[in-house]
Amino acid sequence: MTLVNPEFAEELEKFGIDKTLDCFNCGTCAAICPLIYEHFPRKMIRYAQIGAKDRILENYEDLWRCLHCGLCIETCPREADPGDLILGLRRFVIDNWRRA
Amino acid sequence: MYNPRYIIDVLADNIRKTRNPFGASNRTVNKWWKDTPMSTEGDAMLFTGLMYQLAPYIEKTTKQIERFEDTFFANYVWLNKYVPKFLVKLAFVFMASKKDKQPFNDILKSVVKILVKSNVDFFYKPKLDYYSGILLYDLGDNEGFIEHAKFVAGKLKEQGIKKLITVDPHTTYAMKVLYPKYIGESFEVKTYFELINFKAQDKGRQVTLHDPCFYGRYLELSDVPRKVLDDFGIENIDVRNSGKFTSCCGGPAESVSPALTKEILSKRYAELKETGAPIVAYCPICLGNLIKAGADVEDLSTFIARYA
Repeated sequence: MTLVNPEFAEELEKFGIDKTLDCFNCGTCAAICPLIYEHFPRKMIRYAQIGAKDRILENYEDLWRCLHCGLCIETCPREADPGDLILGLRRFVIDNWRRA
Repeated sequence: MYNPRYIIDVLADNIRKTRNPFGASNRTVNKWWKDTPMSTEGDAMLFTGLMYQLAPYIEKTTKQIERFEDTFFANYVWLNKYVPKFLVKLAFVFMASKKDKQPFNDILKSVVKILVKSNVDFFYKPKLDYYSGILLYDLGDNEGFIEHAKFVAGKLKEQGIKKLITVDPHTTYAMKVLYPKYIGESFEVKTYFELINFKAQDKGRQVTLHDPCFYGRYLELSDVPRKVLDDFGIENIDVRNSGKFTSCCGGPAESVSPALTKEILSKRYAELKETGAPIVAYCPICLGNLIKAGADVEDLSTFIARYA
């Protein structure tokens, strides 16, 4: 069971992310990403959109696989900056660690 | 893969206590300038950000973390934080030999040669040449990055420094984009290759430029070295993924997963070598990785300095 939190996008703003809801999940980022793992970063972005914090915290290692190479940012048709969202999620996870 | 939490904690602790991501002494790492005559006053400061100087240490450290990745020992990397910093500093004195450091020091000397030939009014103050903190930003430790950036910018501003000449994409991005954005401190930042101003001709020579992500996409500077090569009559044979759409060398994952870096690097190297031309890189991380992959590669500054 995963808890959904529609206000999570607002929470992410303090981590420098203000485009969480811009993504329409087309998957261009996952197609261009050099990592070609299971729908990265698309899946993480979906978790962020629905506010599935526990999923993000459980799968945090995936966030640090990202090379922050910027290919997804360059090609996103919604200009939703997927790579920056991943960077913001890293900040969110670190904040959780440090507050724990 | 290493637990990123342990790696971030160790790096953040090193930077906070020593202003160096490895916990090494900046004086140990930064010695290239000692036999290079340079003014200590001028219009713009050469700011290396210590990235080229750190490259041989990155190589040595990566070899170690590669050995222990996904083993039992990987779970204890956090203990590093508790090793007294004076011991870490001492270890770094012996970690890289003169032979290991020489090629990277020579790259910085090539930059100086290029700037002199281009009549650039510049100076160097080794004590003010700090690591920018970019790795903390990349790994998501914004708090640590901001604290370090304030320290570095404070030191530069104290000395009235307004203009910086940078030599690598990571430091360039930090000083040009991140410092104004996160700490409100701005410098006029130019890379050394934007300042190249002399003529040369070498018709018939071919190279393949490997654009680092930060220069290709984030800073959109990859046209500049192409123009320089073109003016020199040198043909650059581009691979499909170049410029704005360049492919990563895998370097950013190195601190948490050298295995992942290897995987990304092998794909990029396979693409680059298809042209058959010698590769020219202009980032110390890309250069170090391509050397590791066995590529016929040299740094842009070394290549250009031959004509200076």
